[in-house]
Amino acid sequence: MENSLFSKPLDLFLDVVNPRDYVQIDSISHIYQNLKSSVQKPLKMILLYGRPGTGKSMLLHKLHHDLSKHQKVLMVDIPIVDEDDFLRVLAQNIFGHAPREVMTLTRFLEIAEAVSYPNIPIVLLDEAQLYSTSLMEKIRLISDARAVKFVITLHKTESEDVIAKEHFQTRIWESIELQNATPEELKIYIQKKLLKANCFDVANMFNDKNMGMITRLTKGNYRDTNKLLFALFSLYSWYEEHQPQKIKYNAINTKWVEMAAIHTGLIHA
Amino acid sequence: MLDVNSLERRWLKYKIKRSLPYLLSIALILILVSGILIFKSNGMDKHSSLNKPSVVTTAASTASSQPAIPVPDQQTMVLEPSMTFIQSMDTIEQDSASAPTTSAKPVNVALPKPPAISMPLPTNTVLQLPEGNEAAPQAAEAPVQKTTNASKAVTININRYETKVDIAELQKRFKETSNPNLGLFIARDAYKRGDYTEAYNYALKTNAINSHLDESWLIFAKSLVKIGKTDQAKKTLQLYISNSNSESARSLLDSIERGNFK
Repeated sequence: MENSLFSKPLDLFLDVVNPRDYVQIDSISHIYQNLKSSVQKPLKMILLYGRPGTGKSMLLHKLHHDLSKHQKVLMVDIPIVDEDDFLRVLAQNIFGHAPREVMTLTRFLEIAEAVSYPNIPIVLLDEAQLYSTSLMEKIRLISDARAVKFVITLHKTESEDVIAKEHFQTRIWESIELQNATPEELKIYIQKKLLKANCFDVANMFNDKNMGMITRLTKGNYRDTNKLLFALFSLYSWYEEHQPQKIKYNAINTKWVEMAAIHTGLIHA
Repeated sequence: MLDVNSLERRWLKYKIKRSLPYLLSIALILILVSGILIFKSNGMDKHSSLNKPSVVTTAASTASSQPAIPVPDQQTMVLEPSMTFIQSMDTIEQDSASAPTTSAKPVNVALPKPPAISMPLPTNTVLQLPEGNEAAPQAAEAPVQKTTNASKAVTININRYETKVDIAELQKRFKETSNPNLGLFIARDAYKRGDYTEAYNYALKTNAINSHLDESWLIFAKSLVKIGKTDQAKKTLQLYISNSNSESARSLLDSIERGNFK
């Protein structure tokens, strides 16, 4: 299996968020540059929203990766739902202060005021829709006090839009929406990802026909695409081991794409 | 690890499930198309059967206002199709004991035109056939006959239902189908109605579709004479005779040349 042509692509499409796997696509690069320049502005809050799997978390991680070299940035990718814990984590990681007493908002703001940074520290909050209303209110107050700058990501659903409206409508200075990829973008995404890992032969197997099929199945969603391709390359690995005569190296087998889609639940069979 | 065999089975099911609506649609379309074809062919059968003349015989209506006409053997009973395609069968009173013999043919040639063809109708034409004259109705494309009593005369009651609407319908159908039989029928009807220009037109169209219909050429020539183009009628007949060697055409040409036909 180690010499397998498909084991490397298989690992590439594991659904993990790693800023080093960030693939530059024109539209996403444009959004990322916007986000980066927004962060440099004296804004209190920046909202990054979009449907699940559109690359919000990846952008946030990429931002953290790039900004942490120059300024104080805290990435909170797993929501801390307890208010005391949340404020304590922020106080400790941003201001290096870990009080023994119960952490209140007032205490947190006192700590923030005591420590001064050349740039306002940035906190990146992923999956912000999971925070309670009360905690969101505190986040708002912290950002109003300009103690911390927040970049938050939200899933774009009806209920989460309500949260966004209630808590951030008047305070958000910049909101950026991420959308699913077009067929061309998805093709570039897959091929760049494969080429980055020197999987040239596999990258050449993707043509417009099977890319159209993959886009139809995933609707251009990056997470679904990763899941589908992971299942597809798992199938290829299996066939390579058990029935190598069935593999055609000039194009992706559409039957196996459909089988992978059945496996991942994109096709209800 | 993936259970590839199970996945392949699920994929097969999915493909079958997915292609089922298409297959059903194709089957439905085929059924519809074949249904339409069958329906059309039935329509054609009906249409061709409608071109057959209908003879309705009855004994019950012998006392009708129409005169009884003895029909000779040679006289081809020009039995036209009922325009409304309604056929009814009455009875023919005929002496079953007195079997007809061909030797007893009537000599009555100078018959008036059968009033049955005149329009607007319905009219009842009662034909009285002398004893032993069954050949004429048989020649008229197998009409249904019934002998009911022992009287020597055979009475045939022809019911016709023709309206202008029917003719218009036939003309429309002729336009659609270009059936030469229909064209001939319309030409014949127009000629009998005295509309010689229309008779000429339809005979001309019919000849263009089928140039071997004797009667169509005759109507064409007769119509030409009627509208005063006797020379053209003669030329047409000469040309037709040279191609077909038709006796009736020759006879008509003779009568035109002699001035008998006017």
